[in-house]
Amino acid sequence: MADRTYDDVTQLPVDDTEDIDRTEVRSYWQLARRRFVRHRLAVIGAITLAVLIIAAAVVPLVVENATGVDINKSFAAAEIVDEEGNLVLALLGYSRTGINMFTQLMAATATSLMIGFAAVLIIVFIGVVIGAVAGYAGGWVDNLLMRVVDIALSMPGLFIIIAFVAFWGASIWTIILAIGITGWTTAARLVRAEFLSLREADYVQAARALGASPRRIILRHMLPPALAPIIVAASLGVADSVVLEAALSFLGFGIGAEQASLGTLLNVAFEYLNREPYLVLFPSIVLILIVLAANFLGDGMRDALDPRQRVEQQ
Amino acid sequence: MTTVSRSVGPLLEIQGLKTHFFTQDGTVRAVDGVSFQIGHAKTLGVVGESGCGKSITSLSVMRLIERPGKIVEGSIKLNGEDLLDKSDEEMRDIRGDQVSMIFQEPMTSLNPVFTCGEQISEAVQQHTAASRREGMDRAVEMLSLVGIPDAKRRAREYPHQLSGGMRQRVMIAMALSTDPDLLIADEPTTALDVTIQAQILELMRDLREKNRMAIMLITHDLGVVAEMVDEVVVMYAGKVVERGDVRTIFGNPHHPYTQGLLHSIPRLDERVDRLEVIKGTVPSPYNLPTGCLFKRRCPFRMPICDVAPPMRQIGEEHTSRCWLTPAGEAPEVGADPTPEEAEAAGEQLTVEPR
Amino acid sequence: MTTQPTATDMTGSETSSGQTSAERTVARGGVAAAPLLAVDDLVKHFEIRGGLMGISKLGAVRAVDGVSFTVTEGETLGLVGESGCGKTTLGKVILRLIPPTSGSVTFEGKPLFELNSRELKAARRDIQVVFQDPYASLNPRMSVGEIVGEGLYVHGMTNKREREAAVRDLLKRVGLNQQHIHRYPHEFSGGQRQRIGIARALALRPKFIVCDEPVSALDVSVQSQVLNLLSDLQDEFQLTYLFIAHNLAVVRHLSSRVGVMYLGKLAELAEADDLYENPRHPYTKALLSAIPIPDPTVRRERIVLKGDLPSPANPPSGCRFHTRCPMAQEICKVEEPPLRDIGGGHLSACHFAEDVTPLKERRAS
Repeated sequence: MADRTYDDVTQLPVDDTEDIDRTEVRSYWQLARRRFVRHRLAVIGAITLAVLIIAAAVVPLVVENATGVDINKSFAAAEIVDEEGNLVLALLGYSRTGINMFTQLMAATATSLMIGFAAVLIIVFIGVVIGAVAGYAGGWVDNLLMRVVDIALSMPGLFIIIAFVAFWGASIWTIILAIGITGWTTAARLVRAEFLSLREADYVQAARALGASPRRIILRHMLPPALAPIIVAASLGVADSVVLEAALSFLGFGIGAEQASLGTLLNVAFEYLNREPYLVLFPSIVLILIVLAANFLGDGMRDALDPRQRVEQQ
Repeated sequence: MTTVSRSVGPLLEIQGLKTHFFTQDGTVRAVDGVSFQIGHAKTLGVVGESGCGKSITSLSVMRLIERPGKIVEGSIKLNGEDLLDKSDEEMRDIRGDQVSMIFQEPMTSLNPVFTCGEQISEAVQQHTAASRREGMDRAVEMLSLVGIPDAKRRAREYPHQLSGGMRQRVMIAMALSTDPDLLIADEPTTALDVTIQAQILELMRDLREKNRMAIMLITHDLGVVAEMVDEVVVMYAGKVVERGDVRTIFGNPHHPYTQGLLHSIPRLDERVDRLEVIKGTVPSPYNLPTGCLFKRRCPFRMPICDVAPPMRQIGEEHTSRCWLTPAGEAPEVGADPTPEEAEAAGEQLTVEPR
Repeated sequence: MTTQPTATDMTGSETSSGQTSAERTVARGGVAAAPLLAVDDLVKHFEIRGGLMGISKLGAVRAVDGVSFTVTEGETLGLVGESGCGKTTLGKVILRLIPPTSGSVTFEGKPLFELNSRELKAARRDIQVVFQDPYASLNPRMSVGEIVGEGLYVHGMTNKREREAAVRDLLKRVGLNQQHIHRYPHEFSGGQRQRIGIARALALRPKFIVCDEPVSALDVSVQSQVLNLLSDLQDEFQLTYLFIAHNLAVVRHLSSRVGVMYLGKLAELAEADDLYENPRHPYTKALLSAIPIPDPTVRRERIVLKGDLPSPANPPSGCRFHTRCPMAQEICKVEEPPLRDIGGGHLSACHFAEDVTPLKERRAS
């Protein structure tokens, strides 16, 4: 070896920053957004849902008598503005009884989406609370709550909802409540599983060692990662709830004509299947659109929120 | 059975192997021009840190590179025949017959729904004309050969019923059941405790003698290398940086990276106040330096290091990818590289770093 | 101290009966200074439960089964052993991350297991931890600044500017670029992440840090950087370490004393040099002999242990090592050897500690 040896030159200060400096700072959520945007179907799903929500919210507001019947208009063609200059948005024309089919469809979509989202809200709330308590506490608390989940799961959901509606009457709120309190078990199990594994995660242990309170640990370290599967489950849950409500209304246990949902429309449409088969078409399309869009959205979120997904460098 | 002294040439000869991965974010040159040989019944150690390309090299030999990876250049000759020219079907016959591989985590390479005996028997039946019965007999024989007590009973057990060390023995039994010429062992003891590691290493040494088999041992543990191998290849960022006899590499390392590795590990038999370190970290494959890949971390960095050094002869059977003279001195200022070296360097320079 | 094994024996309470930790410290070569940390007959059993409500007990994994030792201020106590020996569990019990089954841990005279939550929070400032896996130990959703500053926030430094200044100072001390304060863990290499983890542990200016395999997940060239950093910080902040690792070479490098664990018990505890040169327990000797030496010219005596580690749910009778011990005699099967001082503060739990010979080593030409 020459006079210069390895020993002389290794005591330099460590500066291993050459690789990292050129990338811009990106947080977890920024990266998640990037991954989501790359998921084309998910973006399409999100846009579809957004358009449906906006249309369903706005159309019944801007059109007077959106769900009313005007017998003079029987089988009238599509129009945006009627003879008197009122905005009617009858894009799909009128039915035999003079119903503005587009505005009625949008009003029904609004009801269905409302039920879907509100029911999911209940599902997520109950699910997160029960799952989080079970997963964080562990031990007998966990055991007890999981047996409650088992019992809830073993009961026939549709039957309970029907009984519920029969007992309380078929208002939109009873249906939301009925779907909500029968549907939370999966969410609870998801959150519990996530919490159980997170409880042992090194960074949660590190936070405990720092003296962080249980409140802080749950809110800061455990809920955010547990939220990822919840968001995914919730977006799929919206689709499920919408379909469940449609099934209820289709079977005649749902909401009556005064606040028609997509299911109600289908129920009515089937009565006229021979004479006006096209009535079935549009509610079905919207229903399928909601389900597909919510599912694509859920898929995209799952990929975007998964921290195991590769992180792009450039 | 296949070890009739076939040829005088090396058993495995890798020439200019390049395995690249084409990702969304650019090309990763995981293996970038690797050449080395393994003689019959010799043990070669491939050492390097994570991401240096040692595992990808071994998977390339097995032709187990999957998309987005691709072997883009080079040749891998086994007994004189280029494996890269083989069809997938021919490769399946070679794999597990002439070349076998064992992995770091035996649990992921054993099928959980079949018993250990069935899996070994399966391997035997695939490569020989053995019947199911003969295969099972061979399995029991192999299991007792790798030191599993009560082999008959163990052959009927499932992988999850065995401990980590036992599973690795089953993997070895399976790999050796067809008498391969070459065993590729990718970090075979990294997941094991030291006392179990000692058992497995002893077993491998033992079987190497018995079967006259060559081993390509991939590891980051220099202790394991010192104990097991005849020849060492040191890899860094996809390239071989030094190659030589095990005593030369440990006794008289030339490349600053090899020196750094050897100096930086804490030793059981020597107590020092402060460990020497290699500063910095392994460069990102998307952001490799130009010229010598080690220059950012190298304590001997010189102006010439901006030109990628070729593999240069240091001594008999000892080569190193560094511009330092064989004595470890800086080359004279202004001294031009030899024509061959300039040519080799020129070739390197055309490789554009991202 | 040697009695027939009984039920209490199995939980290890016998090994320390009639002796307080202070007395034992004095017995151990007369270290006069009161220990910073005293672990006394610590037991942690993980119950295996089953049944409808998961209440009936089916058995217990004896992860830590009666361990006593002390750590003096400023020293590094190394704790080695193979997977399943209970070393990590021991660390977590000391940190009060998991509750003990029995026994006590005293830190600066305070009984850690008897503190209420307010006192515990105060004690946590002094006792910190560095974890093994630099990927799992940092919250991927938090920036470096938030991660390192969390302890400061939790303990009342709510002013953001003040906290950020403190974090920048910490980053500098662990050799990280201060500008990286707003970056997220995924942007760093393993070694850099481990530095972040160390900075987090240092933030509260602790006296005592449990290092649980802090370098075993790192590449060789980065390991030495982190080991040097740990010893620099020890000098700078007068830290005391409990250094838990499976790599005996790494432990030797950093530790002043070393304890060897086997199946939930201490097999041997001695000054580092003494332990490595004169192991007095056949398990320590086998462990040392099993480590490959990175020098092809040196050949060391190799003791290859038979068989696998027994299950900690059902440890062997008598001496737990007797099933694999090359020196085992009849007595080892029935009588559990106590951890005893065999001279000069060298503790060994072997009936034949005096007969254990040093490892033979020779240098080939």
